[in-house]
Amino acid sequence: MIDFALDPELELLRDTARSFAQQRLRTHDRHFEAARDVDSGTRSAFAEIGLAAVEWPESLGGAGLGAFAASLVHEELGAADAGAALALDPLGAAYYALAECGDTAALQAIARPLLDRAGARAVLGWNGGGRVALRNGVATGVLPWVPADRVDLLVLFDRDSIAVIDAGIQLTSLRGAGLRAAGASELRLDAAPVRAWWVNPAGARRALARARLHTASLLLGVMRAAATFSRDYALQRVAFGKPIAHHQALAFLIVDMAMAVDGTRLLVHEAAVRLDRGEDAVEACATAFLEAAEQAIFVTPNAVQILGGHGFMQDYPVEKWMREARALGLLFGGVDAAREDAGAAIVTNAESLALAETHA
Amino acid sequence: MNFVIDDEVRKRLAGIRELGRTQMRPLGIEADRAGKPVDPGHPFYASLLRLGLGRTRWLGGDDVRSKSSEAKQGPGPSLTGVLLSEEMSYWDRGVAVSFPGPGLGEPPVLSMGTPEQKERFLTRFREPDRPRWGSFAMTEPGAGSDVAAIRTTCKPDGDHWILDGEKSFAANASRADWIVVWATADASQGRGGHRAFVVERDTPGLGDFKIEKKMGLKAYESTSFTLRNCRVPAANLLGDGASQGKLNDPEGSRGAGFKGALQSFNATRPMIGAMAVGIGRAALDEAAAFAREHDRGGDPRVRDRLERTRRKLRVARLLCWRAAWLADIQQPNVIEASMAKAQAPTAALEAALLGMELLGEVGARGDHLIEKLFRDVKAMDIVEGTGQIQRIVIARLLLNLRRE
Repeated sequence: MIDFALDPELELLRDTARSFAQQRLRTHDRHFEAARDVDSGTRSAFAEIGLAAVEWPESLGGAGLGAFAASLVHEELGAADAGAALALDPLGAAYYALAECGDTAALQAIARPLLDRAGARAVLGWNGGGRVALRNGVATGVLPWVPADRVDLLVLFDRDSIAVIDAGIQLTSLRGAGLRAAGASELRLDAAPVRAWWVNPAGARRALARARLHTASLLLGVMRAAATFSRDYALQRVAFGKPIAHHQALAFLIVDMAMAVDGTRLLVHEAAVRLDRGEDAVEACATAFLEAAEQAIFVTPNAVQILGGHGFMQDYPVEKWMREARALGLLFGGVDAAREDAGAAIVTNAESLALAETHA
Repeated sequence: MNFVIDDEVRKRLAGIRELGRTQMRPLGIEADRAGKPVDPGHPFYASLLRLGLGRTRWLGGDDVRSKSSEAKQGPGPSLTGVLLSEEMSYWDRGVAVSFPGPGLGEPPVLSMGTPEQKERFLTRFREPDRPRWGSFAMTEPGAGSDVAAIRTTCKPDGDHWILDGEKSFAANASRADWIVVWATADASQGRGGHRAFVVERDTPGLGDFKIEKKMGLKAYESTSFTLRNCRVPAANLLGDGASQGKLNDPEGSRGAGFKGALQSFNATRPMIGAMAVGIGRAALDEAAAFAREHDRGGDPRVRDRLERTRRKLRVARLLCWRAAWLADIQQPNVIEASMAKAQAPTAALEAALLGMELLGEVGARGDHLIEKLFRDVKAMDIVEGTGQIQRIVIARLLLNLRRE
């Protein structure tokens, strides 16, 4: 039955993530950005609380919770520092591809070693356009940008297959548009050996869905932070004799930003719950990602706008959120790839949103 | 967190689907072509009574029937109402509003009425002998969104009140047994001066019923009428403390009348949102069907616009559900209800506009369902508080925006 209540345990998890994110990340975001990484103290504190491990199985020392629990955590991390969220998570979205296509033994063999190396990073790279050629057990090609300065493990995927590469990865450092706390590099493979290759369209599609949900949750956090921060600013800043929030043009804009955040969250949660119920959630996750990506680039530039000149300056976090929102929305083929999955069946359905069928 | 519709509601949705497919949609199209409301004597309404519809939620005394009957596991009445409303509006929102029953007049009678008043005005809706309607009249030619600005006056006169003024766009008013009419006892008191009366059919001075010509939603009547020296018994003034003697009593019922009106709006906004989603869904299905039949499904421009429309309707639906769920667990839902009401009508309009665009000249002919939906849907952003009013309501809470 329809219920929007949060279980007390999940509420606790969310609150734990929120206080860590606000106390340890939000306060150091410019420092992380300049350093292109989080500091080791923050990294070990994060690992200790187990926030990266929410979805991991017990064999990896994880909590075995579902996508919904993880989306609560990712929203909180995104609301503080999305770049740091990527830097802190050794497996990141690559975990989804390994979990969907590899068995427990493969997960142990491939993922486990990263957890024992401080600062190790796995990166999930989208190969939908076939930018990297996989032939005769080697990979050749270029990914123009990955949000990392260090790649211990590259998991390349498209809609049919997943390839694991952990040697021969060449990185060229980039400035990066956003998410700089996670680093930014061009990734080049020149006949790099492919350690494992699984052809598994169902698994690859589920991995893509989960990766999109992960990104959508981070985007949700980013836009929430931008909407809240700019609202609070607008209540303080006075122009023409009253707080700028009380001029109706801005009041309506701020309300629209709040609605964008709430609506996105509902789609993200619905998709997460579908995943946790074991339903085919490819369409739901692609839909949530699309909404998150579109609304984030509505909300965050307007947050900069509300702060005016201050918004453009790096003394305030809103310009960073605008860049991070844009960068996150480009992952895994961005909105155009997501539209292909979200809209795949839309014309074939006689009734797109029939209540009983959509919410069985 | 759960988004599953339970079995009992599914059964009721299936019933509405059947009724909608076989009767509501054809009737709505017929009324649209004829350009006038479905006649109150139409056998369809009598058939609804046989299905158990067209009744009051009031069970006598203080008991109110929950829309999910006695099931403890099912959703509460607001959520159930939202689900059923969406499905009805998918088939025809105009016909749905024309359903017999106390309608929007019921919430104020239930929330403000004395036990005697509930008895007098709602008993006839418990086991109706024939289709009967109640109605609700707040809007005036010069007061729409700004409900505090109503000019219809009420003056005590012995054991009666004299009502004078004009009311506009009241659903089902000319066929109603009674109309809940809002009037001001003292315009200088603003909302504190508002009073609600149950004005019964054939009360002298109630008249000039004019069924308005509308762009869409033609199956139900939106009726304007006048009150000229209309003598209403004091016993028909809703509430007990609101009698003439207490009018100026600061500890009395000042503002109670207006609060009653606002409460009915808080409960109905998610439902109006859901109705918009229903219309939007119908438009989306027409648009997708046309694309399918004309082999345009593979065109990414078509696919992407349909996807966006469906996504916005999904968001709107979830916003409506959340607001109704909060109402059911008796938590404040003003922001959430206004968000639902602000978002759903524009999502639905977008669906209808897209449908017209995809159908192109076929839509422009004026004889396709999509064109009717396109005309029907616009009202949803206007009734029960426009999108702009919803934003003001949200801004008051979110931004402490003061009333000017």
